[in-house]
Amino acid sequence: MEAVVWFFLIAQFTAPVAFAALGETIGQKAGVLNIGLEGTILVACYAAVVASAVTGSWMIGLLAAVLIGAILNLIQGFFTVVLASDQVVAGTAVNLIGLGLTSTLFDAGVASGQKFSGVAGIPKLPLGIDVLLLSLPILAWGVHWLLFRTQFGLALRGAGEYPPAVESAGFSVIRLRMIALLIGGVFAGLAGAYLTLGTASSFAPNMTAGRGFIAIALVTFGRWKPMWVLAASFLIGILDWLQVALQGRSAIPIQFFMALPYVVALIVLVAVGKGTQTPQSLGLAYRREK
Amino acid sequence: MSRWIIALFAILLVIVGCSGGDKGTAVSVKDLPVGKPVEGKLKVALLTPGNVNDSGWSALANRGLLAIEKDLGAEVSQQTTKDAAIKDAMRSFAQDGYQLVIGHGFEYNGPAAEIAKEFPNTVFVSSSGGETTANSGAFRFYLEQGFYLAGFIAGKQSKTGKVGMIGGPDVPSIRSTFKAFAAGAKAANPSIEVIEKFTGSNDDVAKAKQATLQAIAEGADYLIHQTNAAVTGFFSACEEKNVWAFGANEDQNKLSPQCIASAVILAEKPFVALATLVKEGKYHGEIQLVGMQEGAVDFVLNPLLASEIQSEVREEITKLQAAIIAGELTIPKDEF
Repeated sequence: MEAVVWFFLIAQFTAPVAFAALGETIGQKAGVLNIGLEGTILVACYAAVVASAVTGSWMIGLLAAVLIGAILNLIQGFFTVVLASDQVVAGTAVNLIGLGLTSTLFDAGVASGQKFSGVAGIPKLPLGIDVLLLSLPILAWGVHWLLFRTQFGLALRGAGEYPPAVESAGFSVIRLRMIALLIGGVFAGLAGAYLTLGTASSFAPNMTAGRGFIAIALVTFGRWKPMWVLAASFLIGILDWLQVALQGRSAIPIQFFMALPYVVALIVLVAVGKGTQTPQSLGLAYRREK
Repeated sequence: MSRWIIALFAILLVIVGCSGGDKGTAVSVKDLPVGKPVEGKLKVALLTPGNVNDSGWSALANRGLLAIEKDLGAEVSQQTTKDAAIKDAMRSFAQDGYQLVIGHGFEYNGPAAEIAKEFPNTVFVSSSGGETTANSGAFRFYLEQGFYLAGFIAGKQSKTGKVGMIGGPDVPSIRSTFKAFAAGAKAANPSIEVIEKFTGSNDDVAKAKQATLQAIAEGADYLIHQTNAAVTGFFSACEEKNVWAFGANEDQNKLSPQCIASAVILAEKPFVALATLVKEGKYHGEIQLVGMQEGAVDFVLNPLLASEIQSEVREEITKLQAAIIAGELTIPKDEF
């Protein structure tokens, strides 16, 4: 019983990263490296809290987060996919805009008495289980099914491996990549919504605190396989929980525990390397031949 | 040939332009008073690590700044500045003729001492820190006094015999307040167990909640925090598990129905006193310890939850606070 309690507690705090990582997997499989994930999640967090505070409904908060996530990813996609600009530069811009925009809006909102905490959260069953948390493994399986069991998924993966082949098979690489980004944006929105409405019930500037970047690393960690990505997120979640739980109970300095999740992730990344699993056109813009 | 003349002319123009600029700055700096009373309007700048609406550390400094504006009729400016931007902000305020630049936090102390050498006519003061020069120094808010009283209540009231402290980054100033909280709890109940957790972040609300939940799971039923902007996560965990919480830095009693008291810094009096010194040209670099005696630290019970604290404990708290103010009780604090 004790173990079940811990399982769901850890699941709650690792879910935002897991959602984001699943969305990023789809994008990366299609060849788009979404560096702007952190900023997208942050804006989604803001949207979720504000929409939930204004309407008093967590569902509208969730919807707002998902919509904002999708829109932001499409905007980024317009630059990186349609205009073929550098994905790292565009993604960094999204991160900076996300942080600046939400912090400024938060400042102005607090000054005018807007509510940023204690908003309507996702209703919880015992053990902290909720609808969104239960949907996580189903969605992970869904992403796996979409990528590896459908013709669309095959085309999507092709867009990440060798785009000209997909193009000559009659698909539009640009459209495929935009769809991948759209789905990725929805997942980033879910991540933001869960971070705020599922755990914190509030918004604070920069509250994502690097989760977007961890999600990007988890995709490599999970070898671009959705179920493995989910497992990797959970492993990091366990390590993260361990560092909090072990603090103050041993003579080892707490900085060691704080670094633990990152050290393990680094070791795993070094051990598994990039290998042949990496989509061969990851991060490369595709220009249609005239 | 004409190209060379133009190039020479351009170089000459640049040289003249640059030296002219230098001269201008030098003159304006010289015009400022050196250890003399400020003539005309006093200009005071405040640098905070976070947004001044954080109902915490930065908000209390801003109220101090507004008190300077009101009481001394000073021209004031506030800027949120972190990390690498600190020195630039200090330089630009000094260049703009500000006579006092307050950096609200330990992290401003080093840069203040460094920049102070470049601008001898501006006073740089940081909230906490240990370095001084002729025209730079620091405040040392004796918040430990408030934390001690909170710890005392926690020690007396805890049913589990365990109390918790949730910190953001593991920095000396936070550690010192936690030691005072633990000392207060031990004074009330020598067998009390103190649980300490750090999240390593000032912003990570979910992490603050996670750490708080963990401390509660380990048995803590009275908790204090130093989580800054992530405080909503701390309170949210206390509300979920129905345990009692203490606010820190600002009066946070209104932020949560579980917040029974707050250890508070009141920056108004020390800030105005500092600005007055600068205005009169009497400032010299020093580390000033300001606490309950100076009206800079207070401990505020939540009036709505007064009945949750046993009346004997409340009486003892009043006595302890009086003893601290009278100088009879010295609360332990770290030097940093």
